[in-house]
Amino acid sequence: MSHQRYPSHDAAAKEPHSVSLKVLRLSRPSLVTQFPLQSPLSELSSASAGARQPLAPASLAYSPAPIHNNGDHPTATIADTNPAPFVLSPIVNLPPSFGSAYVGETFSCTLCASHDALNLLPPDQDELSPSDPARSIRDVRIKAEMKTPGAGAPVTQLELGPGVVSEKGVDLAPGETLQRIVDFDLKEEGNHVLAVTVSYYEATDVSGRTRTFRKLYQFICKASLIVRTKAGPLSVGREGQRRWVLEAQLENCGEDAMRLERVVMDLEEGLGYTDCNWEAAGTNRPLLHPGEAEQVCFVVEEKVGGDGRVQERAVEEDGRVVFGVLGIGWRGEMGNRGFLSTGRLGTRHIKPKVAV
Amino acid sequence: MDQPKEQTSKGHTRTRSAVKVNPNGGAPLASTNLTLSPQLQPPCLYGRIIHALTLSAATRPRSSTKGPLDVDDVPLTSPGPLSPQQAQRMALPTQPRSPGPTSPLPRSAAQSPVPRRPAPRPKDFSFLLRPENYHPLTPLNVPAAFRSDPSKQPTPETPIPDLLARGQFRAAAIAATNALTGPDAPAPSDHARIFSLLYTRLACLTLIDGTSIAAQEVKALEDLNSVVYVDEATGEHLVPWELRVLNVRLQALGFGDPRRAVMSYYDLAREARARLAAATAKHDNSARELWKDRLADVGVRVAGALVEMDDLTGAAHHLGSLPAREGGKLAMAKALLWLHLGDVGAARRCVKVEEAGETAGKVVDALCDMADGEYEAALARWGELKDESEDEMIGVNMAVCLLYVGRMQEGKALLEELVTAGRSSHTLLFNLTTMYELCTERARSLKVKLSERVAAMDESANGWEKSNADFKL
Repeated sequence: MSHQRYPSHDAAAKEPHSVSLKVLRLSRPSLVTQFPLQSPLSELSSASAGARQPLAPASLAYSPAPIHNNGDHPTATIADTNPAPFVLSPIVNLPPSFGSAYVGETFSCTLCASHDALNLLPPDQDELSPSDPARSIRDVRIKAEMKTPGAGAPVTQLELGPGVVSEKGVDLAPGETLQRIVDFDLKEEGNHVLAVTVSYYEATDVSGRTRTFRKLYQFICKASLIVRTKAGPLSVGREGQRRWVLEAQLENCGEDAMRLERVVMDLEEGLGYTDCNWEAAGTNRPLLHPGEAEQVCFVVEEKVGGDGRVQERAVEEDGRVVFGVLGIGWRGEMGNRGFLSTGRLGTRHIKPKVAV
Repeated sequence: MDQPKEQTSKGHTRTRSAVKVNPNGGAPLASTNLTLSPQLQPPCLYGRIIHALTLSAATRPRSSTKGPLDVDDVPLTSPGPLSPQQAQRMALPTQPRSPGPTSPLPRSAAQSPVPRRPAPRPKDFSFLLRPENYHPLTPLNVPAAFRSDPSKQPTPETPIPDLLARGQFRAAAIAATNALTGPDAPAPSDHARIFSLLYTRLACLTLIDGTSIAAQEVKALEDLNSVVYVDEATGEHLVPWELRVLNVRLQALGFGDPRRAVMSYYDLAREARARLAAATAKHDNSARELWKDRLADVGVRVAGALVEMDDLTGAAHHLGSLPAREGGKLAMAKALLWLHLGDVGAARRCVKVEEAGETAGKVVDALCDMADGEYEAALARWGELKDESEDEMIGVNMAVCLLYVGRMQEGKALLEELVTAGRSSHTLLFNLTTMYELCTERARSLKVKLSERVAAMDESANGWEKSNADFKL
């Protein structure tokens, strides 16, 4: 995460803080890859003879066998959960980097405020000496807010998780960490700033004071999906209800593949729709690689009641029939969720043709 | 795996100069955008590969192959085997050009390939004994802790098997090179020893994060399908199977042509199938099992190659076509691939439908919960699994889950426990150092201490020496 550090607010800005704040974006953990190979031996069996050598344990992503095996693994102990020689293994890594943030995703981030006694030491010193003054850290509080790119840079106060967090501050012994998690639904493209404020009470034997600092983490949110829509009239249905066809092209403009999970319409009163896509066809959910597009289609029509009459006429605004919004849900790598809905879609009202 | 069609494998020569250059950088032909026209998508993977090959064959006529490996390329005036200088000179024109923006012009399309008539003379593999094939390895990316204990420092006299058993892979890679290029180098005709040392060298490089170096060094082998590597008397391939398998991935990386790996694995699969048939005919059961294993192994590696070239749908399709064996490993592989693709439902179905084994099913369930963002539920599952098994993966995944539910302190303690128990996988160290970084501005001292703890562990074939990258140093 590109971040800028701003000077802390209190007067003693120059003095280092005994609490440090670190953040990690919690995208989904990723499956670790492995490239299993046969144990290198100085005298290999020739191509035709000899039993199959076990896979070299060092080439696997993790060691399943109890460690007191002296490295001489029979093949059986390597099996179990590891699908070697397959390239993916079930062990997971924490997110290695911030990655890219996309509209439609939920931005999760963990905030860690730690009592970091080493912070007060000169850079070349790694150990606390007994002469260093003992400070106790009390009443540590974290606040977080998100600045979004809209007009006037609106600021959203973020709720701290996990679960319901009490307002009370937390006391931290040296080395202890106060960990909180924030979630934020990304809805806009552009510059976002996560602002985190940490306050705490620092007490020595003789005195005490409240200190506060603030860190800003800036990141860019990019578009993930381009949605192009086109609506056109269909012939009037059997009961005289008006019908339209709504087509949409969904283009993956991100950098990662996404698997479309569902496309649904949230329609205005009095309208219903028929899905003509993969669910109707009973095919697999489409996988969109970066730059690829999927075309989806719906038939929208006025609802017909039990008495065979059109219940309600569709809402019209300025000569336009308004359908409603299109919602698209997808899953990224390791199931990372995304959901996007369009603006209100509709079409110009054309006088319905009479059904034959 | 079905037998691929004959013509698919022959386009695999060592003239990489004309490899397909994809302007989009990476997206292979086999996975080009077919989304809008599903009717173009062939029904099975083989169809897809063959389709891709036909395409590339259309743009790349077979060029004649010249190089030190073609025995008949030796001028008739040259009576003896190739001298290293000759070999080097002849190797030059076949050095691959990096796939640049220039269009792959069909080279020497007019020339007809030189007819091959293998001459019965002793094999000369001196081109693999040239010191310039091998890169020096620096100890600079090894943390100081691994270089300080004199009792664990290998000497130049330490035999390679000892180094391997002690997990000293960097030292083993260096020792293999020294053995190949030093004063006691094997005779140019001693193929068994040369290939054994070469395999040790390349395998060890991949184990010490030196895959890119290995991918360069493997180029010296050139085309393993060449007649030079075949024993004329018996018709058997002289290169050990293990090296041929490793060669596939490394050459694909080295020449920047990932689809080549798929083709080459199919070559190996065809041979394995033929050998399997021969062994069955001779009622040679041990050979039959061996070739069956190898065939299955190559089949799974094709899926891996497809994953590496980001053709995840192709990989899923391919895995689906493989027969299940080996106690549910395949079901686990499929489930992981679906998870990687983001299809949690399909992942769950894989372990339900097939006999994946109880533990594997629970592992996939827990991973699926994580993919759904249900970290509390996943944590409970990992906790149950941890009571049953000492598997390192379960501990690490549980610790990761703890961080996602806001209990990093416990996660960190759990990872520390695993280190204390003697585990030291790259993933464990990576996750633990990431947690260190979250706890303090001054994580470096914690990382150095961790490297000292790992260096103090007993040496084992699991790998002892680690790199700076493992500790994010």
